[in-house]
Amino acid sequence: MSNVELLPPLLIAAPLLAATLPIVLGLWTDRTGWPIAAVTTTGLFGAAVALASAVYTGTDVPVTHELGGYPRTYGIQLVADQFSVLIALLVTAVATGVLVYTRQGGPRGNTFYTAYLLLTGGLLGITLTGDVFNLFVFLEITSIATYALVASGDGPESAVAALKYLILGTMAASMYLIGVAFLLMATGTLNMIELAMAIPAAERPTLIRAGFGFIAVGFVTKVAQWPLHTWQPSAYQQAPDGVTPLIAALVSTASAYAFGRLIVTVFGVDYLTAMPNAAAIVLTIGCVSVLAGTVLAVIQTEVKRMLAYSSVSQFGLVIAAYGVVIAGSSETAFIGAAIHLLGHGLLKAGLFLGAALVARSYGARTVDEYAGLAKARPVVAGAMAVLLLSLVGVPPGVGFVGKWYIALGAVQSQLWPVAAVIFLSTMLTLAYAARLLEKMYFTPPAALDWPRTREPVATDGGDTTVSIGMLAIVVIAAVGAVALGFAGGTIAGLLEPFLIEVFN
Amino acid sequence: MVADIRPLAAVLVSAVAIVLIIASHRRPNLREGWSVLAALAKFGLVVSMLPAVMDGTVFRWSLKESTGIQFLAGIDFALRADPLGIFFALLASFLWIFTSFYAAGYMRGLSEHDQTRFFASFAASLSAAVGIAFAANLVTIFVFYELLSLVTYPLVAHNEDEEARIAGRKYLTYTFFGGGVFLLAGTVMIYWLTSLVGGPTLAFEAGGMEALAAAAQVEPVYAQAAFFLLIAGFGVKAALMPLHSWLADAMVAPTPVSGLLHAVAVVKSGAFGVARVILEVYGPGLIYDLPLDVPGIGEVGLNIPVAIVAAFTLTAASIIAMRKDHLKRRLAYSTTAQLSYIVLGLSLLHPYAIVGALFHIPAHAFAKLTLFFCAGAIHVETHTDYISEMAGIGKRMPLTMSAFTIGAAGMAGLPPIAGFVSKFYMLIGAGDVGGSYWLFAGALLLSAVLNIAYFWPVVYTAFFESEDRHDAKPLLEFPEGGLIQSYAATADDESVAADGGEPADTSGIENEPHAADTDDYEYAVDKYPSDHTTADDTDAPSQHTDARATEASTRDDHDDHDDHDDHDEAVAAVDHHGDHDDHLTGGPPAGGWPRRSPRTESTWLMLAPIAVIATGAVVLGIGPDYAVFLELATRIVEGVFGMPFEQLGDVPFGELMTEVTN
Repeated sequence: MSNVELLPPLLIAAPLLAATLPIVLGLWTDRTGWPIAAVTTTGLFGAAVALASAVYTGTDVPVTHELGGYPRTYGIQLVADQFSVLIALLVTAVATGVLVYTRQGGPRGNTFYTAYLLLTGGLLGITLTGDVFNLFVFLEITSIATYALVASGDGPESAVAALKYLILGTMAASMYLIGVAFLLMATGTLNMIELAMAIPAAERPTLIRAGFGFIAVGFVTKVAQWPLHTWQPSAYQQAPDGVTPLIAALVSTASAYAFGRLIVTVFGVDYLTAMPNAAAIVLTIGCVSVLAGTVLAVIQTEVKRMLAYSSVSQFGLVIAAYGVVIAGSSETAFIGAAIHLLGHGLLKAGLFLGAALVARSYGARTVDEYAGLAKARPVVAGAMAVLLLSLVGVPPGVGFVGKWYIALGAVQSQLWPVAAVIFLSTMLTLAYAARLLEKMYFTPPAALDWPRTREPVATDGGDTTVSIGMLAIVVIAAVGAVALGFAGGTIAGLLEPFLIEVFN
Repeated sequence: MVADIRPLAAVLVSAVAIVLIIASHRRPNLREGWSVLAALAKFGLVVSMLPAVMDGTVFRWSLKESTGIQFLAGIDFALRADPLGIFFALLASFLWIFTSFYAAGYMRGLSEHDQTRFFASFAASLSAAVGIAFAANLVTIFVFYELLSLVTYPLVAHNEDEEARIAGRKYLTYTFFGGGVFLLAGTVMIYWLTSLVGGPTLAFEAGGMEALAAAAQVEPVYAQAAFFLLIAGFGVKAALMPLHSWLADAMVAPTPVSGLLHAVAVVKSGAFGVARVILEVYGPGLIYDLPLDVPGIGEVGLNIPVAIVAAFTLTAASIIAMRKDHLKRRLAYSTTAQLSYIVLGLSLLHPYAIVGALFHIPAHAFAKLTLFFCAGAIHVETHTDYISEMAGIGKRMPLTMSAFTIGAAGMAGLPPIAGFVSKFYMLIGAGDVGGSYWLFAGALLLSAVLNIAYFWPVVYTAFFESEDRHDAKPLLEFPEGGLIQSYAATADDESVAADGGEPADTSGIENEPHAADTDDYEYAVDKYPSDHTTADDTDAPSQHTDARATEASTRDDHDDHDDHDDHDEAVAAVDHHGDHDDHLTGGPPAGGWPRRSPRTESTWLMLAPIAVIATGAVVLGIGPDYAVFLELATRIVEGVFGMPFEQLGDVPFGELMTEVTN
């Protein structure tokens, strides 16, 4: 028992502390970063699995830990329940998996791995914290690490992208902080559980509403929802190939998770349902993002940028699901949001890893350059095809499972326009996914610039070798996407106790 | 319900074959051997379940019961072999055996590229089709329905040229709109509706889901909406108008695909889905009773709009078919029409009409597969795709054209062929209900006439006209009484008949082989380009790229500024995959068609399947009682209405409908 209780602080502290090691050891040698990161993330994954088994099978749930032994009324509490452990598993798994690519694929250097571990620690902090101000701190740690990682790409575009992200990300964090300040004014506490009890009883609901408004805008920016998404495509595109999978899979996912956490745990579904316009606003943002994100994705020429806009629309589905949760108190939609967060994280990690691999070995970055990929690189093309189709929502992929629950939630709540958007999102996703599939499989490579690998495409010093590990990790992601497609009922079952608690 | 692994095994046997096919991609004989073996194994598995199913056993396999994995909360991933499922699975797996021989002959005859991908996708399609047949609930059928759309896409886009890619895009768009949007929406709504009156359920029940009948009383409007969503979802693959146009474009696929998939497995999966919805989700009683308030007419059953759409489709598609000069496209529109027979028969709700509709599934399958196989054999042997170039081809391909005649007679519903039996039952059904249903009977009869109108010219020109003296085709585009023309003279002048003439050489020539003869009038396809879009579209780019290809060869080194698409087209034009520009090379050789005996007209790989399937169509027509399908169809209807088939005729229609509800 007591051992399990130590896992949440360990999950956060270990990567943050380990982040200093590459710099310190870098005084002697330049090659320590990867082993340290690998050992740390593998250990974290093991710890997350141990925590998950304790949470999902144990009786004493949630697993909580008061930092420094201070009670939660004024101390910081870490909470691992059925919802947060799901995301913790995703974070640690992806962080470990991406390392397989970066070992040879770069970026290299000790400072990179310092930022990598900081990011992992920050994400786990967001996932496990039970305190709204502490959440802000971890959001900032995550963001700063991400700015650094994005800026480490080659060329001035990366710097511009990082700066854009820095400005918008800081704005978003400030919005969130203002919202938290309003909540503190209204209730006098920062702990999530305490807030949940204090908010319905608050004497000045206007403060709570204003707080929710600011928090919502903050997270909408962090999650990259239209029209506040503008930082995200450049950040994903300009970040080094080895970094994009990590940030695309996890950074926005963690923010979306935090938003969901605040909705169901802090504000409470019943309270938000009664709050005027809250549901309508969240629903509108989600649905518009689904549509706008896809339209923008279809017109992109760069694969990474296309996938980035695809994230806008996929997170739109999650936000729309939150809207359904608020509007209809729908447990089903919440399950859908959780599964879609998990599934989308896995799919995007796999897809960006695949894109990185293709850029490295095939020199293709635009959709047109993907022509003939299926013949030249059958394995990675096959894995990417599976991942793309999962994203579209072809069963039995994980994308379908999330969509099923979200759509079911919308129908059960009789939100017909939302349901229509969710059903149509299949077609919209297909529009850009099929474009890439058609290029890969049914378009012969252009005759004249073949073979294209001759010219050094300079991903990282022109090194175009692909290790078996790199291929394996993309294939594992694809297999995982299909395997999770059969886990819809299982995940819903795992979340059940949490849902009973928050939906009463 | 008996737990049994065989439904799953029947689905997976061809999925296993995919791995073997890909693994043996270097050895074509072994690869095709796997296809045949998988087809035989699949058929064997289905047949092994047949006797027990005829006796009323239902074999069932469920993911939850066998592995403990819950697919989605409250929904099991389950397969079951009931009479309706066996019916479709038996048909698809039986025809696959012969198609795999034929496909080997066809693909080798044309030296097609990417044959491994082709055979792998083909096997996958059969897996998905049998999955649809055995699916035990709406989510399971949805899963396989989507997978079927997916794995048939590589077959449609097989040629990898612009025309194939466009057809592929259209195919994906239509089928995913049907599956991923309409069908999924309908499924979700059924789940929600049944959860209103108790535990949510999606499992099929003969005669309709009871929970749904109860829910329809609570939420009639949503129950109606869900019905039409489901019908639209399956209607896309069943090519109901206005969702039909993907089918004609999908004819760019190699002919075995057009034959088995786009006349049998894929399109029938749509018709089969409609049957599941009408018979086992809603049930005839509920459909009849759930009133749809139409302004100006009053309340009608839910089946009436479906029947009207089907009747319209079968008439309109037949008329369009008459205008098509491309043989496969004419067959495609014929398929569109014939599928609507099935949907129409099902939506009449009368037990006889339902038996007729169900029997029409194999009846049409046998006859249409024969027709497609013949079209493919003609294509492989003579590169002729256009009916206007087929005058006298009966000399060259006697057996093929005889089989074609049998198939065509089956389409028209002439007595000794299977098509007659199904149409007969449907007419009896429609007549028995009487009233406005006579209109639908009228549509069926009219369509038979139209069938003859568009198939007879093909048979006539093949056997009774000669290369130097024949009517211009398609007949509908020319003055009444026909217009005599011949292409024997022009063939010499233009030397277009030479097989394999590179398109680059002909880039200056008109894109019609009959340019010299047709100066006086225009082809309808030129006057109304929208009727013939695909063929014309490809003419234009191929002309365009022909010029470009010649040009490109002179300036290879310095045209980097050209965008990729142009290169792609240039490559495709030079690659010469087959269908793409064969209308430049089709038609009789300079001296007219040589006379061949049935044994030398083509390879046995193609002729044997043609002969077998054509014979099958006749056997089904002469002795339907002995050829399992009719018996299965009556068994299905007995299950739906809950009384022996002999008694069904005695009960008045209205009474029958109300009894089913209870």
